[in-house]
Amino acid sequence: MACAPSPTPGGYSVTPTEPAAAVRPPLPVKMVIAGGFGVGKTTAVGSISEIEPLTTEAAITEVAAGVDDLTHTPRKTTTTVAMDFGCITIDPTLKLYLFGTPGQERFGFMWDDIVEGAVGGLVIVDTRRLDDCYAAVDYFEHREIPFAVAVNAFDGKVEHELDDVRWALDVSAGVPVVVFDARERGSVRDALLVVLEQALARTEA
Amino acid sequence: MADGTQPPGDDPVGPAPAVRPFLVTAGRVAPSASGRTMPVETQVVATASGLDALSLLSFEQHDIVAACRQPQSIAEIAARLRLHLNVVRVLAEDLRAEGRLTVHVPNSDAVHDSSVLRRVIDGLRAIPDSRGVLRDTD
Repeated sequence: MACAPSPTPGGYSVTPTEPAAAVRPPLPVKMVIAGGFGVGKTTAVGSISEIEPLTTEAAITEVAAGVDDLTHTPRKTTTTVAMDFGCITIDPTLKLYLFGTPGQERFGFMWDDIVEGAVGGLVIVDTRRLDDCYAAVDYFEHREIPFAVAVNAFDGKVEHELDDVRWALDVSAGVPVVVFDARERGSVRDALLVVLEQALARTEA
Repeated sequence: MADGTQPPGDDPVGPAPAVRPFLVTAGRVAPSASGRTMPVETQVVATASGLDALSLLSFEQHDIVAACRQPQSIAEIAARLRLHLNVVRVLAEDLRAEGRLTVHVPNSDAVHDSSVLRRVIDGLRAIPDSRGVLRDTD
């Protein structure tokens, strides 16, 4: 038997160790929900996930600004962060996973461990603390991952006009900025759909 | 929360385990054979021989195989068994090499295929909102 992973109709590279497993798992499609602490990531995941959001610890790599670094190599430190996630079974062969990841305000950072392979990202914003989401916006832009900005309407109101938010975040014109309510399943669903439409448009571009 | 600090009690991971997490992997921190980090959504399924051998497995290995009677993601295993994500990656790779599990690393091209994205979009649209109202299919 060849040792190299081989593509299969299910969209997997299965590294064979024995004949096919009895149960074929669904193809997992991953989206990332990003934003600062307390912005509504876990609420959003919980509103639409078919399971109670689970928490695990993931490692993120922080890249400290190297002003005193003679090598010009960013100093990297690994930090462990709590990551909440949930899932939605689309059908027996397809499952959507939603991973909530914290943003970091002071450092650039890399979430490659979590984001690798994601189809898109939703950056949740609290208009009272826009700073918290800059890192996430930068990350998705640099990695060219389709994303949208979702302003969480705490108490049903948004204190700033969407155009002001777009201006403040300086996102490119093609990035959707929407208002949503992280507590409402339909509202979360629609925000995720905006991201998926972005991802789809990119595959067809 | 609103002032940027973590609210008290917002630590669902709980207290640190008494056993240092990487003790169970003999200090290894990354899967050895594949050369590529398993994405967190990588699906893991117990094999028949893995389930047959459950009584021979101990501790974390036992728990992982037992948890994978149904397909699980690496992240789900870590969360449910309260193990570090990277510990699960290492042990899953070991168990795969021993034939106890199959590990299904998602193929990035398949995940980003437009037909797959359309199926996800259609599946999401079928989810009613909290009041049971379907999204307009304009």
